[in-house]
Amino acid sequence: MSLPSSTEAPPELRAPPEAVRALSPTQVVAVDDDRSLAAHTQWIEGLQGERLGQSRLLLSGLHCAACAGLIEEALGRVDGVRIAEVNGAAQRAVVTWDPARTRMSVLIAAVRRAGYGAFPDTGAQAVVQAARESRQAVWRLFVAAFCMMQVMMYATPAYMAEAGDLSADMAQLLRWASWVLSIPVLLFAAGPFLHGAWRSLRERRIGMDVPVTLGIVVTFVASSAATFGSDGPFGAEVYFDSMTMFVSFLLAARWLESRARQRAAQSLDAVMRRLPDAVERLDASGQAEWVTPGELGIGDRIRVHVGQAFAADGVIEQGSTQVDEAVLTGESRPVERGPGQEVAAGSLNLGSPVQVRVTQLGAQTRYQRIVSLVERALTQRPGFMLSADRIAGPFLWVVLGLAVAAYAVWSWIDPSRALWIAVSVLIVTCPCALSLGAPVALIAAAGELARRGVLLQRLDALEVLTRARHLVFDKTGTLTEDRLSPAPTVWLRALSPAEQSGAARLAADLAGQSAHPLSRALVHADDATREGASPPICDWQDVAELAGQGLQARLASGGEAGVWRLGSAAWCHAEGDAPLRPAVWLAREVQGQWQAWARFEFDEVLRPDAASSVAVMQRSGWSVHLLSGDQAASVQGMARRLGLPGEQARAQCSPQDKLAAVEALQARGDVVVMVGDGINDAPVLARSDVSVAMGSAAALAQARADVIVLSNRIGDLLVLHEMAQRTLAIVRQNLRWAFFYNLACVPLALVGWLPPWAAGLGMAASSLLVVLNALRLTRHSAGFPSAEGVAAEPRTA
Amino acid sequence: MEILYLLVPLSVVLVFAIMVMFAWALRSGQLDDIDREGERILRNDPDEVDANQAAR
Repeated sequence: MSLPSSTEAPPELRAPPEAVRALSPTQVVAVDDDRSLAAHTQWIEGLQGERLGQSRLLLSGLHCAACAGLIEEALGRVDGVRIAEVNGAAQRAVVTWDPARTRMSVLIAAVRRAGYGAFPDTGAQAVVQAARESRQAVWRLFVAAFCMMQVMMYATPAYMAEAGDLSADMAQLLRWASWVLSIPVLLFAAGPFLHGAWRSLRERRIGMDVPVTLGIVVTFVASSAATFGSDGPFGAEVYFDSMTMFVSFLLAARWLESRARQRAAQSLDAVMRRLPDAVERLDASGQAEWVTPGELGIGDRIRVHVGQAFAADGVIEQGSTQVDEAVLTGESRPVERGPGQEVAAGSLNLGSPVQVRVTQLGAQTRYQRIVSLVERALTQRPGFMLSADRIAGPFLWVVLGLAVAAYAVWSWIDPSRALWIAVSVLIVTCPCALSLGAPVALIAAAGELARRGVLLQRLDALEVLTRARHLVFDKTGTLTEDRLSPAPTVWLRALSPAEQSGAARLAADLAGQSAHPLSRALVHADDATREGASPPICDWQDVAELAGQGLQARLASGGEAGVWRLGSAAWCHAEGDAPLRPAVWLAREVQGQWQAWARFEFDEVLRPDAASSVAVMQRSGWSVHLLSGDQAASVQGMARRLGLPGEQARAQCSPQDKLAAVEALQARGDVVVMVGDGINDAPVLARSDVSVAMGSAAALAQARADVIVLSNRIGDLLVLHEMAQRTLAIVRQNLRWAFFYNLACVPLALVGWLPPWAAGLGMAASSLLVVLNALRLTRHSAGFPSAEGVAAEPRTA
Repeated sequence: MEILYLLVPLSVVLVFAIMVMFAWALRSGQLDDIDREGERILRNDPDEVDANQAAR
């Protein structure tokens, strides 16, 4: 694996959002709680008999191997940490620490300060299991590959020697040695194939493992017979080299595949993780006590503070607030929630403290149901494996039929040659190249894409992608960033420039009292113009925030003393047309009347490479569509900035409209790629031929999507498309080669011109060729154009 | 060339011995995180071995 340079790593991967935030006091309580520690910590005895904790942590935000070292250093610097070991591949850490000198929350905070996420790892059982399986796979691969190497060595003299150079005794010794080394390959390394074949035979169906096993076993039996009785019916040739080579290639392909899948699973794993958080439970008399979420019961009343995640699904009883439901919907803008409305576990409380009555707990919450959905999606078998099985079944029957027919015909012509001709047919047609050809290329492509932050969940999506004609963005949010940029302020009263800047500053200070995204954008814009944050100069009193309306506060002193409002047009009694973009108004109370002073407008910020990437997509023959639920004017404005024809951008679409639009495109026989990120897009994503979710998308959308673009770069869609085309070209070459090879060699074997040793050599060479051809996909990666590079140069495809 | 009659069986024994060694390395966790090994040389903190040699 090469080291990806740090400039390539997208910022989203480098610093996950949870890494930026410090632990809240409630999280500290929950993390240091003895019960939550017990789930991921073993207490051991140190050298001096002191008590040490050995804790497992799950990490997030690792994008290259060097990160593991940085985390180890960060943990090692904490006073009281004895040993910190980070496994970058598994994204996990084991820390040995002294509870007398440090606490768990300090360790987690240290990892966060280094820029990564850390969570107590409670799923230890599954981890131990996965580690054991991965070690077992490496062990099998090593046994097969190492024995193959040695068997090759023993086989070489038989191929190279001139007649008479190799004495009969020596040849026999080399055969025995090959035979001894083939036994562990057959019985141990090829174990998964034997098991798989036995299982499918018991279920009376033919899987890919059956022809593979038959090939291995027939080769071994025929070679063993030749070794121990060279006049036997199988002839005098041995092909242990072909057999061991075949097994090691297949094992290597499986190992690579499982690594690719594991990587995809891990990045989703990190998306789903949350730190435990203590909950403030209120009893009947209103007394509060801190408990862990596990102690909550249905019907309990809890108070949820600002910045805290809701511990359970519930109904708000008192207070109103803004809630960040990004984990469920992918929508980064907070939504308003008031008394009587439901809140979901896992979403964040941003506005003000609320009291919630618990309605669903644990596995019943919406959040946990999504988690289990993701887990189920991960265990599904990729489609291409099934299609390979479909090809292999008929192929095997044909081969078996041919071998039997050859035996029958030759026992009539020349009984002494009948058996080895049948064996030749079986060996030469061993479907190795056929069964490896597609998967090896797909896996190589998936691995290469994963290094760029593009995860393939369904490998055969690559094949569909190459036929795609339409690319549909489901909403403007996919193309824009979360933040808003300030547009010129509209002054609703005649003010001098000095008064204007005073009012702008006052509005920013008032906005600082609220966590609403527009308020934060206003504060941010103000900071930017003044180059750095300044302490609040205004002394606000009686601050009140009305959800969905705005802020009101009284300024006690200064030239602008009085009551001010910041919020919606109705809240500020502003008149005139609503602007096309998000805006807030500022108003002042003068003798019981509200006077609107100013309107602060904001623009949505396009992702940096959005416009250039869309231009390249259109030039390369795709038609790009935008289906948005937003207002017509803002969608048209977005289409203009992207350079899309007006009719390809549709506004005010309901999910049904989007579904109908996609179906209309498909009715013309075209293949549609859909890029979406919300839970409401799940039906459209499912209907499209290939669904793509951005890394910022809701977990559910990601779980359903065929492809996840973790980097959030639109340009990576181009990379994905190009990779799909190259992969498919390689798969076609591989399959054509396997087909051609079988077509050429089977007749030769049937007429008896191909001795089994040549058949074995041909089989091994053809699989080697297929694997090397697939590996070309990864070799070109060094010169792979960056997202900017792709966007800059015109391309014809 | 008679020595080959000894060397060939010996090489078989050697293969098994190496496989046992590999099993030991695998079980002690040396191959759990292969991606990282190539970059260890670039890290700042000296390994214990290097530190010993520097002290000498």
